[in-house]
Amino acid sequence: MIRLPWMRIGGWATLALVLLFLIGPFAVIIGAALNAGTVPAFPPQGISLRWVVAVFEVQSFRASFFLSVWLAVGSTLAALVLGVPVAYALARYPVPGKEAVRAVVTAPVVVPGIIVGLALLRHAVVPLGVPVMEALFLAHTALLLPYAVRVVAASLENLRPDIEEAAVMLGATRLGAFLRVVLPNIRNGILAAFILGFVTSFNQVPVSLFLTGPGVSTLPIDMLAYMEFTYDPSVAALSALLALMSLAVVLVAERLLGISRFV
Amino acid sequence: MFQDRRIGLALVLPATLFLLAGFVLPVLVLLSGSLQGPGGWSFDAYVRFFAVPLHQEVFWRTVRLGVLVTLTCAVVGYAAAFAIVNTAPSARGKLIGLLILPLMISPVARTYAWIVILGRTGLVNQALQGLGLADGPVRLLFTETAVFIGLVQLFLPLMVLTLVSALENLPADVMSAARVLGAGWIQTFVRVVLPLTREGLVIGGTLVFTGAVTAYITPAVLGGSRVLMLETLLYQRVSVAGDIVSGSVIAAILVVMSYTTNVLLRRIAAGRGR
Amino acid sequence: MTDGFLALSGLTLAYGGTVAVDRLDLAMAEGELVALLGPSGCGKTTTMRAVAGLLQPRAGTIRLAGRDITHVPANKRGVGLVFQSYALFPHLSVFENVAFGLRLAGTGRDEIGRRVAEVLAMVGLTGFERRLPKELSGGQQQRVALARSVVVRPRLLLLDEPLSNLDARLRLEMRSELRRLQRELGVTMVYVTHDQAEALALADRIVVMREGRIEQEGPPETVYTRPRTAFVARFMGFETCLAVNGGRLVAPDGRSLPLEGAADAPALAWRPHGVVLGRGPHTARVLGRSYLGQSVEYLLETDAGPVKAEAAADAPRFEPGTTVAFDLPLAAAARLESAA
Repeated sequence: MIRLPWMRIGGWATLALVLLFLIGPFAVIIGAALNAGTVPAFPPQGISLRWVVAVFEVQSFRASFFLSVWLAVGSTLAALVLGVPVAYALARYPVPGKEAVRAVVTAPVVVPGIIVGLALLRHAVVPLGVPVMEALFLAHTALLLPYAVRVVAASLENLRPDIEEAAVMLGATRLGAFLRVVLPNIRNGILAAFILGFVTSFNQVPVSLFLTGPGVSTLPIDMLAYMEFTYDPSVAALSALLALMSLAVVLVAERLLGISRFV
Repeated sequence: MFQDRRIGLALVLPATLFLLAGFVLPVLVLLSGSLQGPGGWSFDAYVRFFAVPLHQEVFWRTVRLGVLVTLTCAVVGYAAAFAIVNTAPSARGKLIGLLILPLMISPVARTYAWIVILGRTGLVNQALQGLGLADGPVRLLFTETAVFIGLVQLFLPLMVLTLVSALENLPADVMSAARVLGAGWIQTFVRVVLPLTREGLVIGGTLVFTGAVTAYITPAVLGGSRVLMLETLLYQRVSVAGDIVSGSVIAAILVVMSYTTNVLLRRIAAGRGR
Repeated sequence: MTDGFLALSGLTLAYGGTVAVDRLDLAMAEGELVALLGPSGCGKTTTMRAVAGLLQPRAGTIRLAGRDITHVPANKRGVGLVFQSYALFPHLSVFENVAFGLRLAGTGRDEIGRRVAEVLAMVGLTGFERRLPKELSGGQQQRVALARSVVVRPRLLLLDEPLSNLDARLRLEMRSELRRLQRELGVTMVYVTHDQAEALALADRIVVMREGRIEQEGPPETVYTRPRTAFVARFMGFETCLAVNGGRLVAPDGRSLPLEGAADAPALAWRPHGVVLGRGPHTARVLGRSYLGQSVEYLLETDAGPVKAEAAADAPRFEPGTTVAFDLPLAAAARLESAA
């Protein structure tokens, strides 16, 4: 690459502006979260933790936070249980109708989330009496499956099949070879898929939009509803907490696995 | 060792059946609903949907915002990606981390920040009034501009990340070769960099465009009922008006848009159209 | 040294804090072929990229045909560059790769067709116009890179290790082809290489570089037979370089041999075949022996450290592990100005 002084200066200026645009708003949120006044404002009018405390006192936030966590963990695990065998089969075995399988498995990427929610509401929850919570779980699992397959497939690509053959020659069964030789080697990919899946599900709105009901609501849906009727800094405080949580996740994930390789 | 088709089939079957029954089938049933008229199959629902001026307006706004957001992300994305590729490798890792961070943060939180910034008493209005450029608060929220800004912030990182990897894969010295052969910076970009990073641009563009036209949170929070996009319109029609037919029409439009963008653009990227 | 067709004076180039080229002066006549020779990291490629305009010097000037081009951008210099990696445009056909510079110059369609055909014929690639670079062999890609650079008729052609990615046979073939091309075109050429044989075979003049400075320059024969420093001597195949001190030959680690006769130089150097084996005042242990076809190479452990010697294949052999007499005859030695 060619480097000249004016390019260097222009490059850094561009980056500074882009990062200000992308990251700056979070500084604003954190400022607004620490606001002592009754409306979200930046710069804050006095510093106070009252709205951060208030977040934990809102009953519905607490309930939906835990629901979101369990939903994210459950649907990510389900997506991995279904997705890892697919990634493995597509990488190693001749699969009848390979392209069709690939099409089905990547379909949720092409279909906007809101439609999945609406379809399940109209054609599963209402006519078949599937409980909303189960439908929500199903929808999230479907949404995460393609990502689980893709991330695991990426780490399988770097793994030569002959190590399994070696394991079988040494007396392992196919399943044994997979568990003892393949799984440990794609562990980082699976961990990365888990983190990405968790974050995607936890932050998901459109899929869940139609699949909430009495007692069943996810945190982001609750936040949207709360924002519609109330204009106080508690949403800012909650947003700031979520942003800090994501920062922690990214830092830990980057340190553990270098997650930037998988996004 | 890996020749047994039955094992392959057994491994992909659970996920495939799960998605067929729990995802593909319900979605297809929903979409087919948009093609049912009083006397069987018809485009009746589409005709009636587009007969409403508001619906037309929302459709074109969605397309317009999708295109504008994609173009903006492409232009800014190239500039930022060039700058990143030109930094030392150690700084590059940190910069990429900073680009990934916002992708991991709740879009509700990311969008909410713009309420604080663009609101009646927000940063921008304070600045405008402080500089004497406006007498009273200027309406910035619930405008197309606000939605545009929110969408660009949401999707820019995706474009920059794909362009960074495209530029990193540029063969060694081709830019220098173009320069030495007499190309100016713009000619070097148009004749060498652009064709060689086209695939990355198209992949990034697909992600941004489909993401923008199917966005829900951003138009819901920053546009409200004044600046509807297709997804917010869908939600409004179905849950407020109980109009499931319009809902399935919008659903079909969104799926077609998303699908054709994916397929078409990928074909363009793969082709060697000379 | 500021006259000449190409004149570099006081050229200093740096990456961040490290100086890659330090106050370099070099002048070239029109039509001359100069080889910049040196190990990797000696600054030869950096120098060439500065001449091409791809690097901005920290200090010094570059003059081409009497004009100061130090601050002229790369695309306005009229200098051709053949990259080590070839840097062919992978999305363009052979024809379009070669036509690239002509199109930018606004050359007419007919003339582009004529000139591209002409250079492709010159490098023997007629009929390959529609191929993509990835459909060509390494040697063919090399020829396209060459054709692309000469078709615009540059006043100066720079070649950056152009043959290093080819196999040995092709390298020899391309070497003579390059020489032919240079004579046909009469273009001034700077040829960067780390291969002394290439430099000797091609260049009118060799410039040996070391750590950003010129170590020695001169016609190939002079540099080959009369290296001035141990660095150049080793590069030219004088494997044994010893300092002369108090009537002894001294190795860098301080071990030494008595010197037979008097030397009028601070250091002496011998090629392997200049070392006499089987007779002489010194003895050494044979560490290793390799058969090279025409000759046999020995590695000796002497009182002044390891010495490489070469003997004809039909000469008597010496077994590894045995002790052998040897001589470092003054007549075969190169007289160095410096032992470093």
